[in-house]
Amino acid sequence: MSTDAGREALVRPFQRTTKRYYGLLALVLLAIGVFAAGYTQQLQHGLIVTGLGDWGSGGGVPWGLYIGAFIWWVGIAHGGIILSAAVRLIGLDTYQPVARIAELLTIAALSVAGLYIIVHVGRPDRIVTSIIPAWPTRVHWSPLVWDVTVITLYFVLTATYLSLTIRYDVHRLRDRMPDIFDPVYDLMLIGYTEKEDEIVERMVWWVALAIIILAPLLLHGGVIPWLFALLPSMAGWAGGVQGPSFLMIALTSAISGVIIAAAIFRRVYGWQELIGDEVFRGLAKWLGFFGLLFLWLQLQQVVTGIFAAPVSLTHATEAKLAKPLYQALIAMVVAAEAYIFASALKPKLFTIPRLVGASLLVLAATLTEKVLFVVEGLQHAHFSLYDGVAGTYVPSLIELSSLLGTTAIVVLYFMIFAKLIPVVELHAVEDEHDADGEEVSA
Amino acid sequence: MSDDRSTGDDRSTDRAMYDEWQDRERMEQLLDETEYDTELGMELAEDAQRVVAGELSEAEFEERHHDAVVEEFGQDDRELSIPDEFEDDDSGFRETVQRLADGEEVDRREVMKAGGVAAMALSGSLGGTKLGSRDESAAQAGGGEGEEDTQYGMVINLNNCDGCLACMVACKQENNTSRGSSWMYVMAFEEDAQDDESFLVRPCQHCDEAACEKVCPVGARHTREDDGIVLTDYEICIGCRYCQVACPYGVNYFQWGEPDTPESELDPEHVYDERGKRVDSRPVKGTMGKCTFCPTRQDGKQGEDKVGTTACEDACAMDAIHFGDMNNPESAPNQHLEEYRSEQSNDREDWENRKEHTVSTFRLLEDKGTDPNVVYVGNEPGEHAHQVEGPVTYEDVGLVDNRKEEVLDKGKAANDGGGETA
Repeated sequence: MSTDAGREALVRPFQRTTKRYYGLLALVLLAIGVFAAGYTQQLQHGLIVTGLGDWGSGGGVPWGLYIGAFIWWVGIAHGGIILSAAVRLIGLDTYQPVARIAELLTIAALSVAGLYIIVHVGRPDRIVTSIIPAWPTRVHWSPLVWDVTVITLYFVLTATYLSLTIRYDVHRLRDRMPDIFDPVYDLMLIGYTEKEDEIVERMVWWVALAIIILAPLLLHGGVIPWLFALLPSMAGWAGGVQGPSFLMIALTSAISGVIIAAAIFRRVYGWQELIGDEVFRGLAKWLGFFGLLFLWLQLQQVVTGIFAAPVSLTHATEAKLAKPLYQALIAMVVAAEAYIFASALKPKLFTIPRLVGASLLVLAATLTEKVLFVVEGLQHAHFSLYDGVAGTYVPSLIELSSLLGTTAIVVLYFMIFAKLIPVVELHAVEDEHDADGEEVSA
Repeated sequence: MSDDRSTGDDRSTDRAMYDEWQDRERMEQLLDETEYDTELGMELAEDAQRVVAGELSEAEFEERHHDAVVEEFGQDDRELSIPDEFEDDDSGFRETVQRLADGEEVDRREVMKAGGVAAMALSGSLGGTKLGSRDESAAQAGGGEGEEDTQYGMVINLNNCDGCLACMVACKQENNTSRGSSWMYVMAFEEDAQDDESFLVRPCQHCDEAACEKVCPVGARHTREDDGIVLTDYEICIGCRYCQVACPYGVNYFQWGEPDTPESELDPEHVYDERGKRVDSRPVKGTMGKCTFCPTRQDGKQGEDKVGTTACEDACAMDAIHFGDMNNPESAPNQHLEEYRSEQSNDREDWENRKEHTVSTFRLLEDKGTDPNVVYVGNEPGEHAHQVEGPVTYEDVGLVDNRKEEVLDKGKAANDGGGETA
């Protein structure tokens, strides 16, 4: 494919907006509306409209789906940007066509993760008035403040990264992009000259380096698992395995998310040339690899939890193993793994819709794992005398509507991005041209 | 910091060494925050300890540090009072250091920051000053008011408890907590191998190293400087429930919906403590509540006769709950412990190696490092202990036990204040 043909494909989303687009937009807005209505109820009546309760004599769990979904979205965000930074940093050029999709997924997922923090707290009206004045005295104590701090830093890094790399593309494609967004493009291109390209490339390399250090080591292998692993209260949460375990879940979820988003774009805009089969085949291998590590880390926890473990940990692990939901989620990941390995051995088995199916399975499994991790952890405290009043946690419809709403918000982000900026980097098209002769299968 | 609380049960040497190391770390941090020389501060502190221990003479101490102190601070305030007091016994020296801490001149306080505070914390014998667990601002101001710190706590004699639940009812009435919010909770339990039931009386443990306080992102959960009570500022709390998740004792109860008792029915004298912080009575919607050790009582806002008491203690007819200053040997909890121990004395005439008494005490989940301020007399629940129905059920006294199923599962209808229509 020539650069011109590539450019033509790239600007396709700007040129026509179909009825299906508007139809999807209506659906997405409806889903967000349902979520907003549910949240309004919660604001009005309090968190009593959720399925949550007090652990201890209260027979409930104080954290549930909101926190589980928060970690899940943050994981997708972290994994997404790790993928994109790796492309830039170690030159994984094969994946360049999906690098920006991964970045956009990060921005969208991080936004809804932030939203979950607001949805989760009992007094969202105080988030600014309480957190900001307390920050200097609390940041060296509360893991929750570490978390908010590092996520904010990380959001800034990701946004910087994206806004730097986008200038090159917007400048070159602007005449073929919608005039209606001119003020936005003007803003994106402030002070742009072609001389900056080389400098920006170096800057972006350093930002990518920072991200690749920060995201796995400090964020999803750090402050997020530390929210739980450092506490003296719950048997199932403690331990150094949580860092690697959280990170692997994040990476498997993110790769699944990128596969699904890329497959949809490819299908809707006829981007078979732009995002070739080899990209998906490669992503499938990575998904298989990280999925295997995810299963391996679950095995670590299960074995150390039942073989001569302290009483409370044995109890927590046995309870987890007995949960049908836990068994189901492990089965889902195993099934996805089985398909990926089978299609690696027998390439005929490989199709993109099947891979999307496996990715959806993995995403459902990781979301279930995150919610179960939070809820099961809270149901099996070290101090087990309260077991007599342990109740069950079933997320209320209002909580479940948040999943619908946040997913819709992420889809909406992509729908807007599709119309606003090139979702595939221009570099990906140019590189293909430069390295002409590389066959891109349709 | 050595554990010199008179109620103290035995601590291991390891623990003491660990505490000492922790204090040292804290002091270094504290000193680092001042503009003065951290090393000099630590040296002063360590040598001050040696003087206390008799390993170093006062003259040697003076000789060693005078020049350095003058160089660092411009003057050596220690000269103003220390020499006269050096003739005293150990505690005389400590009093002097303490008095220095109370000095009105700012520069004296700063000398204290650099040296004396460290000495106090390291020596650990000044009433168990707990710098790490109290307000940092107060620690920086010189550490204490010149008297032993008050540390409210409880001795709960489980052998006396008959499970009547009067304390739970009294707490609910005093604080107007919502249904199922059992700030004080009494549970009957049995061990696998035993038939007879025991009781565990569980208020908040008001820990020195409160996990709930460490994790609070906004500092709403805090330790009150004057008396070591752990409280929640209902006007700062954002309702993230991290404190509840981190507490190993399960003492927190969130205000999930509208409180059963409306704002208009609360007595303002029973809501704000003497610092003007909203920490007493039931929490406001969307914030966290737990046992408070009745701070407005301790402030004298409920009348002088209620200072040093709690609602649960007043209600206990079995003499099981004893509230007071754990650092004061004359306080109700310490007196009870002493009397109880003397009543259960051992036969040491025939068996001279036996301990003086047969009373066993414990703190709950001590291995979690929370340093709780509630000391129990009686049977500690083992890992296989399980809750059983007590002689008086929660329903018998009009209390809700399983808040989740009996209140919260009704959703917003539960906001109507306990009506059966919900």
